[in-house]
Amino acid sequence: MLTKIHHVGVVVSSADEAMKFYRDALGLEVTADRVIEDQGVRGVLLQIGGSEIELLEPTRGDTGIARFLETRGEGMHHICFESDDVDAELEGARQKGIELIDQKPRLGLAGMICFLHPKSNHGVLVEFATPLKDGHH
Amino acid sequence: MGVGATHIDHIVISSNDSGTVAQTFADNLGIEIKRKMIRPGTSAQLAFAKLQEVILEFAGPPEVKPGEEVKARLWGLVVAVDDIDSAVAHLRDLGYNVGDPSKAVQPGAKIATVKAGTAGVPFAMIQYNALPIEGATA
Repeated sequence: MLTKIHHVGVVVSSADEAMKFYRDALGLEVTADRVIEDQGVRGVLLQIGGSEIELLEPTRGDTGIARFLETRGEGMHHICFESDDVDAELEGARQKGIELIDQKPRLGLAGMICFLHPKSNHGVLVEFATPLKDGHH
Repeated sequence: MGVGATHIDHIVISSNDSGTVAQTFADNLGIEIKRKMIRPGTSAQLAFAKLQEVILEFAGPPEVKPGEEVKARLWGLVVAVDDIDSAVAHLRDLGYNVGDPSKAVQPGAKIATVKAGTAGVPFAMIQYNALPIEGATA
């Protein structure tokens, strides 16, 4: 069962520049700031209430995030719903015939995650996440 | 020091057919569409779901064009603040272009838009209980 909005992902050209607004001006706390090498992205999570804003800066040009930035510019990229059982969410989506990007959950900045194909939701990219018990890794 | 943001209040999903997109989210994700309305003034078709403190707002035009492919995108964010006048003043002190707080659709609420510098995200702040609610009695 999806319990809440875990985060919204925002693609940015520079996380440092974006943090001038989200961290410095709004006053949000950075809870994670990490380069995910295999995905070619720097991810920064900022806490706001029970959810987070995830800034995504491409670190190389051959990734989906880089292509998004090149074609659409900065802006909102995906929405992540939290579940206490991402495996069950993914299996439930599969049984409904929903097109998937990830065939099984994988480790991401928000915990164990998976993405549905945006075609399944009229172009909106949806992520499911189950946070790790010890928080961000 | 910040704006006193308490939570994400709204995530806006814009489309050419808000009813269909909201129903797809309901079917695919098991979320409940709790309310539908027509926005006063623009006649935009709106549908709402809520997960804990965050509202998903599905927004679309007044008329759906028959046969047109339904397309949606994540559009913008609205965050809740404790004191919108202070929040606006704070951002303006830092050089941000922020609109004056105005009456929101939500009863008793005021909303202000940050017009640039938000990393491409249409961004607004809302304060509930900022205005007397018409028809309410003490």
